[in-house]
Amino acid sequence: MTLSTCLLLATALFSVGIYGLLTRRQVMAVLLCVELMANAANICFVAFSRFRGGVTGQVFASFSIAITVAEVAVGLAIVILLYRTRGDTRLDLASEMKE
Amino acid sequence: MTRPISLALVALLAPVVAALILAPIPALRKRGWPAAALCILGSVLSFGAAVALLVDTLKDSTPQTLAVPWVRSAGKVIAEAGVHVDGVAASMLVVVTLVALCVQVFSLGYMHDEPPPAFGRYFTYHALFLFSMNVLVVAPNLLQLFIGWELVGVTSYLLIGFYFRKPSAAHAAVKAFWVTKFADMGFLFGLLALFAASGSFGWDARLAPGAATAVTLLFFLAVVGKSAQFPLHVWLPDAMEGPTPVSALLHAATMVAAGVYLVVRANPLFAQSETTRSLMLGLGAGTALFAALLALVQTDIKKVLAYSTCSQLGYMVAALGAGSVLGGFFHLTTHAFFKALLFLAAGSAIHAVHSNEIGAMGGLAKKMPLTAGAFIIGALSLAGIPGFSGFFSKDLVLEAVEGKLGGVPWVLLLATAFLTAFYMGRVVFVAFFGEPSGEQAKHAHEPGWSMRAPLVVLAVLSLGLGYFAAPFARLHGEAYHFELGAGPIIGATLGIGGFVAAYAVFGRGKREAPPAVITWVDSIARTRAVNRLYDFGYRRVTMVLANALAWIDRYVVDGAINMLAYTTLEAGQEARPMQTGFAADYVMAVLAGVVCLAAWVVAR
Repeated sequence: MTLSTCLLLATALFSVGIYGLLTRRQVMAVLLCVELMANAANICFVAFSRFRGGVTGQVFASFSIAITVAEVAVGLAIVILLYRTRGDTRLDLASEMKE
Repeated sequence: MTRPISLALVALLAPVVAALILAPIPALRKRGWPAAALCILGSVLSFGAAVALLVDTLKDSTPQTLAVPWVRSAGKVIAEAGVHVDGVAASMLVVVTLVALCVQVFSLGYMHDEPPPAFGRYFTYHALFLFSMNVLVVAPNLLQLFIGWELVGVTSYLLIGFYFRKPSAAHAAVKAFWVTKFADMGFLFGLLALFAASGSFGWDARLAPGAATAVTLLFFLAVVGKSAQFPLHVWLPDAMEGPTPVSALLHAATMVAAGVYLVVRANPLFAQSETTRSLMLGLGAGTALFAALLALVQTDIKKVLAYSTCSQLGYMVAALGAGSVLGGFFHLTTHAFFKALLFLAAGSAIHAVHSNEIGAMGGLAKKMPLTAGAFIIGALSLAGIPGFSGFFSKDLVLEAVEGKLGGVPWVLLLATAFLTAFYMGRVVFVAFFGEPSGEQAKHAHEPGWSMRAPLVVLAVLSLGLGYFAAPFARLHGEAYHFELGAGPIIGATLGIGGFVAAYAVFGRGKREAPPAVITWVDSIARTRAVNRLYDFGYRRVTMVLANALAWIDRYVVDGAINMLAYTTLEAGQEARPMQTGFAADYVMAVLAGVVCLAAWVVAR
């Protein structure tokens, strides 16, 4: 296992995340995709830490995970509110962000 | 502070104190009589100080100046304000204050029928005018002279438009203001040019020949406007809409003479430019004849006198153009007295018959002997009949002009001398002799003492001033003695001849069938060619140009600004659909941004 393998894995994960973000209609799926992208970044952190030495990357990865958890908590709260007000969680029906 | 300086300050400030008390206190002004009393008191003080000053100056004519710094620039004083006293200023002060005093006393009777508020307003204006004129007369430099010049213009506007409810008077006031203001641009630019060339506003700077010509030509434009020379004379006849005493003071004796006074003061500058002087000589002589011809056909007694004033100012300008300061200034002085006398006597006649038309008078000599006598003395003096003051001053002018510019101006002025006598003879014979032509003229009677006394004073001066030419010349550091030569004899012959001719045509009550030459001039005068030229210039040139500029401003300048605003608004409207509200679209936009940034980083 080399650095490039790890980076390729991270890229693949990130791309899958982006693709899902753009194509999924369910809010839950979109949230999951965001998680995928965040974890792609985490893989980069730990990979560089592992192959270049130093613990900075690992510390950042822990940070990142903590922040992602907070983000998901907020995201899920929004999803629940969305479901309560509309009775549906499909994103392409929500266009209130216009203007 | 020396005695002459203190006297000059008293003469300068007495009227303005009266005006400053009257202007802000309506209770005093609107009662009428207190205003008149205060104004006349100011004039008496001013006149007394001026006479004392003249007596001092006759003993010792060393010029004295009191000047305080006025305009500072970068720590340097560039202009001063104050008083400058010499022979010229002292004699002019006496002329101005004496005529003003006479006119104000005369106004007590003449304006008697005005309601008290108007009466008070009238005298407040008069006090303000006297102050303005004195500012001009005692100015130690041309900048202060300019300030006085403009103040005089404003008070002239106020006094011409005194009957401002009458449209013709309001119109005349505005016209006078515009025409003189146009000419005053010459003064302003002349001052700027003078300052640029010499670094001061003094009148004794040595200039390069080109600069001297430019500066004096610009000044001369102002003189043409203020002293009503052709082609800017059009405002003066209209200015007769003001009360008659105002015409006597402003538009005969003092204000219109300010132009001549400017040339007298700035003579060291004018002496440096032969071009300007030749132009003055030609224009002055031309105006003299032109205005005399127009005076010939007027039926309004004040208009006759107005054109006559233009004509006599032409004499003065011509004399100054010929280089004779004494001639121009002496004629100014004698003219101030006899023309004020003529106007006041005319005012007395108008007061009696309630009409300006000479046709409505007739036979007044029997009813109003004093008025008629005063008018005839003025007329004889104006016509240059030997012995009267006008004879001596006119003779000085003719002597100065003789032989200049191929003799043409001299011939023009001699022709004018004949015409002057002729048109004054016409007024005298039609208005004061023959049979009364109406009820009003039949019941005319002499006015009260306040109107008679000034006539007597001015008549005495018109009679006697000519014999004081020698001391007058001494004030200017020149010598004068009268010599009986060809010049005076020709002048006297023409003057007497004019009267005889007028008697032959208009005497013994003959009114019908004026000679062909008069009808011919009348038909030309009726075309009002000069006024129509200005109308044409205003409507066809100025207005067209102004409209073109307004169009450019409205559609090109404003259009560009409006276009910019419109484009911004439209661009915003066009960009609105980009906000779809779908989260995926925003993500796409962010992504596109990231890709672009990445591409930029890689490509770099």
